[in-house]
Amino acid sequence: MQEWLNHPAVQSGLAPFVVALLAAELLRRLCLSGLAIIAGFAVTVYLASNFSVDPLTATRKIVWLGIASSLLGIALIWFNGSLWRPILSVIAAAAAIWVSLRILQQQPLGVAMQWGVGCALYVGWLVFWMDDLRDAPVRAGSAGVALGLGTGGAALFGGSALLGQFGLALGAAAGAYLTILAVTGSRLPCGRSFTLSLSLIAGLTGCLAVLTTQLPWYALAPLAAIPLVAQIPVSEKLALWIQSLSLSVATLACAAGAVYLTWRVAGAPPF
Amino acid sequence: MLKRNTIAVLLLASLPLAAHATETYTIDPQHTYTHFSASHLGFSTTHGRFDKSSGKVTLDRAAKSGSVDISMEAASISTGLGKRDEHLRGPDFFNSAEFPNVTYKSSAVKFKGDTPSSVEGNLTLLGVSKPVTLTISAFKCGIHPMNKKYLCGADASAQIKRSDFGMKYALPNVGDEVKLVFQVEAYKD
Repeated sequence: MQEWLNHPAVQSGLAPFVVALLAAELLRRLCLSGLAIIAGFAVTVYLASNFSVDPLTATRKIVWLGIASSLLGIALIWFNGSLWRPILSVIAAAAAIWVSLRILQQQPLGVAMQWGVGCALYVGWLVFWMDDLRDAPVRAGSAGVALGLGTGGAALFGGSALLGQFGLALGAAAGAYLTILAVTGSRLPCGRSFTLSLSLIAGLTGCLAVLTTQLPWYALAPLAAIPLVAQIPVSEKLALWIQSLSLSVATLACAAGAVYLTWRVAGAPPF
Repeated sequence: MLKRNTIAVLLLASLPLAAHATETYTIDPQHTYTHFSASHLGFSTTHGRFDKSSGKVTLDRAAKSGSVDISMEAASISTGLGKRDEHLRGPDFFNSAEFPNVTYKSSAVKFKGDTPSSVEGNLTLLGVSKPVTLTISAFKCGIHPMNKKYLCGADASAQIKRSDFGMKYALPNVGDEVKLVFQVEAYKD
């Protein structure tokens, strides 16, 4: 059993998928199916890493920010307002700086500024545009699958299995959510507990992969396009599984682009 | 009064002698490397080393004491395969972007007879400090035959568990037990 749980495909694929599937279905009545994302991600962290705090490394900051963002997502159900979207983006941008701070401190000021601003813009952008999908479960689910798999695949090719697993876990969890939606033909509750935690973790993971692995910065561009591509017009009259499929094909093309760009630079993963 | 002054003068006169007893050495980076080895999936043992090190060593043979302070650049890791080295530098292993140095600071040097036999101290890796004792298997001081400078050299080793330092990637497939071998040469200042 332990040997089975040590397998990377179980840790970042099967386990988060199954846990997210259960979480999305069980929390449906409470309108908290969006927590499937953090449930899937947390099981991967538990199996592949840990929930330690000291020393507070960049990857550990991502884990704790991800958990905090899902709780914030729940809290914001009762505090709805149009201002939250830009506010969350600014907070996410600041979080990106905080996560990469120790790495930036090792660099000359010019390089640190460039990297810091780039990371902040990327994470802020993702949070801003994914927030637009919070009331559109099919679009959010499709974007989530692509953003997770694209970030994970690119990080894996860039040279970090752990960051790769973080991204793939998000993709698997969003895939579980989308599977329930497509199979049952009924819309699951989504909300910020889905979009905020997914976009924040994926954004920070992509950013950290650029700073610490061979993932080229421009591979983040197709990933940044995913929330926009997920808004392409698809008829609401179509069956949910057809809508999911159409949007997933479009968004996964962006994810494939990011993985391809990384592979061009870094070659095959070193594992 | 005279007796007290005499004692004070004698004490003062002995100070330079005590200061001279402690010798300070600067590590020669061209002959100082930290080697490591760990099991690769249980099939074989992978060896590697840090190519860049710096630091100081002090030695007081009369008092049988000393100190060791070595810093290794995590990014200088080398296993003979560039792709693997990139992976080892990354967040899965040594995370050199966040933790650029691996350090060892001694707390005590033990002697057997006139030569140091072990060093007690703390190894700091990935921001985590743990006590590690180095066993010295070879130690020699003398004049370098070519440059005629006085130097000391030693081989020392220790066994650590990488998981103790938070390096948990690919456990248990890639071995948890890591053997460290320090090859140190240092010139007298």
